[in-house]
Amino acid sequence: MAEGDRVGEVAVKAAPYYGGKLEVVPKIPVRSLDDFAVWYTPGVAAVCKVITRSRERSFDYTWRWNAIAVVTNGTRVLGLGNIGPEAALPVMEGKALIFKFLGGVDAFPLCLNTTDRNKFVEVVKTLEPGLGGVNLEDISSPDCFYILDRLRQEMSIPVWHDDQLGTAGATLAGLYNALKITDRKLSKSVIVLFGAGAANIATARLLEKAGADMSRIVLVDSVGILHAEREDMDELMLKNPWKYELALKTNKMKITGQLPEALEGADVLVAAATPGPGLIKKEWIRRMSDKPVVFLLANPVPEMWPWEAKEAGASVVATGRSDYPNQVNNSLVFPSVFRGALDVRAKTITDGMVLKAAEALAEFIPEDKLTPDHIIPTMEEWEVYVHVAASVAEQASAENVARRPLTYDEEFARARRIIERSRKVLMSLMEKQFIKPLPQVD
Amino acid sequence: MSQVVFRKAEPRDISRLVELNTRLKRLNEEFDPLLRVRADIAETSRTYFEKAIHSPDSLVIVAEDSGKVVGFIKADIRERQFYEPRMEGNIVEFYLLPEYRRKGVGAQLLDHTIKLLKEKAEIITAEFPALNEIAVEFYTRLGFRGVVSVYARES
Repeated sequence: MAEGDRVGEVAVKAAPYYGGKLEVVPKIPVRSLDDFAVWYTPGVAAVCKVITRSRERSFDYTWRWNAIAVVTNGTRVLGLGNIGPEAALPVMEGKALIFKFLGGVDAFPLCLNTTDRNKFVEVVKTLEPGLGGVNLEDISSPDCFYILDRLRQEMSIPVWHDDQLGTAGATLAGLYNALKITDRKLSKSVIVLFGAGAANIATARLLEKAGADMSRIVLVDSVGILHAEREDMDELMLKNPWKYELALKTNKMKITGQLPEALEGADVLVAAATPGPGLIKKEWIRRMSDKPVVFLLANPVPEMWPWEAKEAGASVVATGRSDYPNQVNNSLVFPSVFRGALDVRAKTITDGMVLKAAEALAEFIPEDKLTPDHIIPTMEEWEVYVHVAASVAEQASAENVARRPLTYDEEFARARRIIERSRKVLMSLMEKQFIKPLPQVD
Repeated sequence: MSQVVFRKAEPRDISRLVELNTRLKRLNEEFDPLLRVRADIAETSRTYFEKAIHSPDSLVIVAEDSGKVVGFIKADIRERQFYEPRMEGNIVEFYLLPEYRRKGVGAQLLDHTIKLLKEKAEIITAEFPALNEIAVEFYTRLGFRGVVSVYARES
């Protein structure tokens, strides 16, 4: 992990040098102190009165239209585990940075000092009047399912948990193209999900919405293959009802055993388990059907090396890493999903909107450019964000969850303008040296 | 899911009953730390069902789907020493595999059992751990209510 060590050194040096990664910068002109009479009291009172007449106007008359909170309690941060809310803050800042740079979204971190899921829900709900949306981050499973499900139901602004929806959306986008290349239909594919944490549970739920045949999906967790008669089912019913529901719906063949048994004749493997290498053996991949699809999403090291999967006959291989082909990357999803959702003032992000985002992401690669080593766009292709945002906005409008519906073309132009501006502002601050160059690491 | 049928348990069912009873007790353990499952539960369950199947004062009914036992009820007939009505059908174990829940199978199994119990009993009671919310909800929905409380304190 020489590369990891190197960027770690830079990050540790840069963090105190810049004092974090974000600050608040005004976006209105201040010609003289007299202007404060417009932006603040007494002028601002007139704006307050407008909003008093219709609270929805807070989306047009304040920054609410573009402001989201990145909220965590630090109970499952990256691969570091439960490191607490303070230690989670650098990650939240980083997330907010990506929101701004790739999606033009004003995101700010909030770290909550509670491991009580009900208190978490209450706090976030209370924040609704000042927010355009909520991005939940790095919350341990299964609490993350409970918190997301409740907040999605009880708030009337978009709520997103990236470890669930972002990963599931990016995975599905990759799967769409992998299935296309290998001549498969989603509804006929036998899909094995290895690992049953936030990512794969969300992927399974999204696959159901996408039209996969749930009876052909097999989940494998640390105990083994999940099925309706597994001995720990009653325990799951009480402690992880999300996994329990999937156990009832999936694996109607009632395959038992471990991953090798699950892979027998399977078309697709999506591994989101624990870092490898060596977790999955080549001979297990050989047991799969002809030209199988293998996604190895653990970070920083995939469950097996991608070339091993290829050697064992895998036709399409994807990982979570940027240094191998086909990076299944949440950052392709969340900035543009929020861009689209915020621009139509969406009341929620529906599963239909997530599906549309995945489709748009997959379709961004034209047929003639689609190869086993290029099934997912990269972050370099920044036009993809505009396409996904437009698709999400259009879908929100079609599903009647948009407070201000927009067509695909309207949002396409708007998203492009906002995202471009966001990049240009940062570049100009760098050019003018208000943002100093990165310090050298010796 | 095919048709679930109900019948009296036979000696050939005992291994499966032991397995399902173990699941039931482990579920109770999830609800209440005062219900820690014994290590030898398989042996004690076996003796328990062997006795119950052959006893005129017990009734073990199984739910069967395509030849596979997927749930059971065990009940006892007993006489109330001080109250009327005198003969009581007392349901003491009830377990149904997860796949068969929320589909009315449990209520049917209970119905079937109560019909048989009523040949000998005039009042039907059910015993279950106070903290087992699923049982509380199930019996309450079917018109049962609390009659006796058993409180516990360790040492």
